[in-house]
Amino acid sequence: MNNGNSFQRISGTPRYVIDEELSQIVNLSMVLEMPLLLKGEPGTGKTMLAHAIAESLHMPLIVLNVKSSMKLVEALYQYDTLTRLNDSRFGDSQRDVSNIENYIKMGKIGQAFVADARTVLLIDEIDKADTDFQDDMLDVLDQMEFDIIEIDKTIQAKHRPVIIITSNAKKDLSDPFLGRCNFHHIAFPDDDMMRKIINVHFPDVDKCLRDSAIQTFYQLRKLNDIEKKPATRELINWVRALNADPDFHPKQLAKGQTPYLGVLFKKSRDYEHANRVFNRVG
Amino acid sequence: MFLNFFYQLKNHGIPVSPTAFLSLHKALSLGLINSLDEFYTASRALLVKSERYFDLYDQIFAAYFKGADLPNEESLAIDDMAAALLEEWLRDPKTITSYFGIDENALRRLTPEALLEYFKKILEEQTERHDGGNRWIGTGGTSPVGHSGFHPGGMRVGGVSRGKSAVKVALDRRYRDYSLQGPLTQALVGEALKRLRHMRPAGPKDRVNVDSTIYQTMKNGGEIEIIFDRALKDRLKVILLIDNGGWSMDPYVTIVQTLFSYASAQFKELKTYFFHNTIYETVWQDPARYKKPKPIRDFIKLDPETRIIVVGDASMAPYELMARDGSIYISDRAGRPSVECLRYITKTFRHTIWLNPVRENHWPYTQTIDIIRKIFPMVELSIDGLEKAVTLLMEK
Repeated sequence: MNNGNSFQRISGTPRYVIDEELSQIVNLSMVLEMPLLLKGEPGTGKTMLAHAIAESLHMPLIVLNVKSSMKLVEALYQYDTLTRLNDSRFGDSQRDVSNIENYIKMGKIGQAFVADARTVLLIDEIDKADTDFQDDMLDVLDQMEFDIIEIDKTIQAKHRPVIIITSNAKKDLSDPFLGRCNFHHIAFPDDDMMRKIINVHFPDVDKCLRDSAIQTFYQLRKLNDIEKKPATRELINWVRALNADPDFHPKQLAKGQTPYLGVLFKKSRDYEHANRVFNRVG
Repeated sequence: MFLNFFYQLKNHGIPVSPTAFLSLHKALSLGLINSLDEFYTASRALLVKSERYFDLYDQIFAAYFKGADLPNEESLAIDDMAAALLEEWLRDPKTITSYFGIDENALRRLTPEALLEYFKKILEEQTERHDGGNRWIGTGGTSPVGHSGFHPGGMRVGGVSRGKSAVKVALDRRYRDYSLQGPLTQALVGEALKRLRHMRPAGPKDRVNVDSTIYQTMKNGGEIEIIFDRALKDRLKVILLIDNGGWSMDPYVTIVQTLFSYASAQFKELKTYFFHNTIYETVWQDPARYKKPKPIRDFIKLDPETRIIVVGDASMAPYELMARDGSIYISDRAGRPSVECLRYITKTFRHTIWLNPVRENHWPYTQTIDIIRKIFPMVELSIDGLEKAVTLLMEK
């Protein structure tokens, strides 16, 4: 196993803006070989970060999308009994039916372990799974090995993957889980950061449009009684919409006309509320 | 190194673990931390595992390394209260000004920040604290102005749910927001109730049952026979009983609505009934508790596996609960006393829970809560409480 104390440094990529603090924490987690747990409002770029890390480290990215019904073994490996049964009956495949190993397929964590190069393993939305899954998974990630019961074989990680775990939950994860991770909370970007983010996504957007859109965006976020506040992802889509509309002029925003609110507010109650406050029509 | 800092964090209630502290030292010895700024970031990532404590961490860090003042409890309470007063003032300036005896128009000219400072000054001028008193502003008292008070019809200052580690300061710090325990939003309720499920096979047979397939194939002497099953779907039956009457439930209306809107989206087989204060022989299907009565003796016809969730503050006059004619509604004054009706429900169904929006540390002060607690398992209507409720409801 490669202990990989490689002091690879990450910084931003063309698609993602990483602030100083975050990149330090990522580096720290890589060197200490601890998973990094990222929390933050939906749409602050938790998932994007893993993509950015993989890109800037030139490592392949393996994504495990956690589902609520998921069992840990599914993330590790799968024993394809049906194919084996089929092969044993008809015997027309190249596989050797007596060798069970031919019917073991690696799950996402397994893939990261057996990969020939160091990978970035993103475990997305861990909070969806139950606590047992979370704790057992960290055991595997701690030991860097797991057993395949069917063939009595232990899979050891060839290279310790860089592990990024994201969680949307406001609720804290279990203590043993937290004890083994580094933690970072991605704060909602301030308007300076937001301008950088928009620049990264739209290098040649009109400055005036960008600034007034961001200004309106932060005002919209300040609205009370909104269930789902618009996040970065919504802003980017909104700017894209405004940018594409030839009839739109930034001055409209200042005048109290806010088009395409539906891009920002996804819940009908929120949308109506924002529409009432922000579109002072007639 | 930094041992004092570690204990400072611990003593202020941040759950820090020695292992994490060792990791921090490992990071230091590996030369990963070369400046105070880097130490700030690194030790936070390693030691502090929830954004709720970021704010507290900031303060302790500042106190330890820059010699800033640590917050004391007194000033926190004042800041907290001043913010609550400001909110209340925005909603209803008249009441506030009349309690303080100040000119409303003078206050109207102030900016929110200045107003906040002004309220703080008034609060600091109080020579003593008034917790539990009945006169002035304080916490837990019976004066009409204050937080979590019990004054009927009184004005409520402050939020619905307060954080357990409520360290809140009015200073401008980055993570201030996260140290507040936010209101119970629909998403949060969803989070907590997600595990409340009862999987039953339903729908078309389209899932391969591997074990039966292998068994059947072997039985056929190797002739493959694939066995299909129905997919598992959630078929949990839930009855939600909501106390929707009287002023005592008013502060909790939003929180109950949230619970209700989540529950109706989540559970396919959900029935909701309403009652006032406590349950007698009848509950109602309509919120006005008038048109569609449902006698609780009909409950016996239902599946005993149905989960019963009662939402109510369980606070009332004791006779309403104990006496045979205790109901405040004449039409209800027949049959058993309410305690008997409640016992009947817990006997009919195996899984029952009472969600109480009143904070748990206030429970001992209300007699009827104590009585009902002995009949129903009772938990606080908060995220932690919901978690507990789900565990109880899913017990075998």
